[in-house]
Amino acid sequence: MIYIGAENIISPIGKTAFENFENLKKGNTGIKFYKNIGFDEKDLYLSKIEDENYQNAEKKFDYLIINSIQDSLSQAQNFNISDENVLILISSTKGNIDKLNIENEDFSLVTSALNIQQHFNLKHTPKIISNACISGIMAINTANNLIESGMYKHIIVTGADIVSDFVLWGFQSLFAISDEPCQPFDKNRKGITMGEAVGTVIVSEDEDIFKEKPLKLLAGVSTNDANHISGPSRTGEGLFRAIQKTLSKNNIKKDEIDFISGHGTATNFNDEMESIAFSRLEMLEIPINSLKAFYGHTLGAAGLIESIISMQSIRQNVLIKSLGFEEEGTSHTLNLLKENKETEVNCILKTAAGFGGCNAALIIKK
Amino acid sequence: MSLKISSYCKINNDSISLNGKIMFKNEDKEESLTRSIYKFMDLSYPKFYKMDILSKYGFLASEMLISNQETLKTYEDDAVVLIFANSNSSTLTDLKYQETIASEKPSPSPSLFVYTLPNILLGEIAIRNKWYGENMFFVLPNFDAKFLVNYAAAILKKSDTKACLIAWVDVKEKKNDVFLCSIEKNEQNISNTLEFNEKNLTQIYLA
Repeated sequence: MIYIGAENIISPIGKTAFENFENLKKGNTGIKFYKNIGFDEKDLYLSKIEDENYQNAEKKFDYLIINSIQDSLSQAQNFNISDENVLILISSTKGNIDKLNIENEDFSLVTSALNIQQHFNLKHTPKIISNACISGIMAINTANNLIESGMYKHIIVTGADIVSDFVLWGFQSLFAISDEPCQPFDKNRKGITMGEAVGTVIVSEDEDIFKEKPLKLLAGVSTNDANHISGPSRTGEGLFRAIQKTLSKNNIKKDEIDFISGHGTATNFNDEMESIAFSRLEMLEIPINSLKAFYGHTLGAAGLIESIISMQSIRQNVLIKSLGFEEEGTSHTLNLLKENKETEVNCILKTAAGFGGCNAALIIKK
Repeated sequence: MSLKISSYCKINNDSISLNGKIMFKNEDKEESLTRSIYKFMDLSYPKFYKMDILSKYGFLASEMLISNQETLKTYEDDAVVLIFANSNSSTLTDLKYQETIASEKPSPSPSLFVYTLPNILLGEIAIRNKWYGENMFFVLPNFDAKFLVNYAAAILKKSDTKACLIAWVDVKEKKNDVFLCSIEKNEQNISNTLEFNEKNLTQIYLA
């Protein structure tokens, strides 16, 4: 068995996983209105971390990762991060991209990995996974595969992306950014709201390194739509296959899944694609949400922080409502959570899809 | 389970080789290497022209290898896994896109922006071959044969996974480092093969 625990999230609504979950339960979002912040000085909504230490950090991406790992480490015991059998996996699309083109600054992901290695005095240089919006789920699944291979015993999986003009303007140029706070799966959804956050978990074969009882990781797989580099598949083929394989690989029947943490970016095509995939899988009845209206789209962090919130849901037996959803807006009716729900949560499915036609899923169990 | 390196392809600054044999050397200084290889291979795939430089190199290496390694075409559509890596992510395209947003009259280019993710290359290869299998992009300081061998072996343990392409596609201003190999389970009679291990992978990468 492979275990997952010691989770942390640093976001606009909290510095620990617990604090984040408390704010979600209260319906507090990190998304705010900003004047003249987009391309062409457009007014936009963003989920930005406004903490002064973060804003003044020399390298914001490294700052987030280091602080998040530190909190995870405080939840572990009998565990030496510098050991031969420990690896850090970093999930990110763009790292310190705000440093691009600034003289004498190195924005590269490898430089961040080396900084983090030095900071924690690690035996191995962290390995980076850069698979667009499925990076976080891929990183957790990869941790499982690497531990099973015997190469490492414990893997710290961390993922972050920061809000930057580079990415924000890019999504604006694709007409994918909403001029209102994003509304995943809603009829009136207008696109993405960007966000920044970091999430960290420890994945281990040893149950005893966790101070609080860990959960069980049933790692899944990734797939490709083999269809389009920037548009979701019209048939949901890749997501359909990723979920189907993740269930069968772990011998889990769909009626064992208590909750689905969806991707729900609030673009027209993505949310529609998800509804098609879940319809084909006959999983429309299962309670589902998207957390994008709380955190915005945090890219490389998304799969991690959304998995971590699901872990909190299992620990506390509370499902979080799908903020921003009011009126049905997909061709198949999903069981979107309109309110928080107190219920026994044993087993969750996390899914994601991203540019490059990639899809991924994983399962976490009590 | 025995894993074999069934084929490998390399592109350096002026040539493309397959299994150690140079297939084409670009003598035309006016023509870019990617375009020359495309023409040499007599490909007809208009999407190629829209790709960024990273995708072009990775795509051409995959075309050269797959078209000569018949066994790869015999598997189910999700049985071939893509495990790609480099150390510079999509930096050249990042800089090109940055120019479109940092100029006096900024005009962010959507077509460049899409390629500021290195895994787009995996999508291009998946689309071309109609492959639905696992796809992974690592960013690492160096070609890490030990890590790639262990990771690939873990992925290939699954019975429905039959083969994988391991690639190192690193493109810089003046230096290409493009290496791609196919790893297959020895279920078919693959000829002229090397055991898939750290030593052999390092050797053909450096060759």
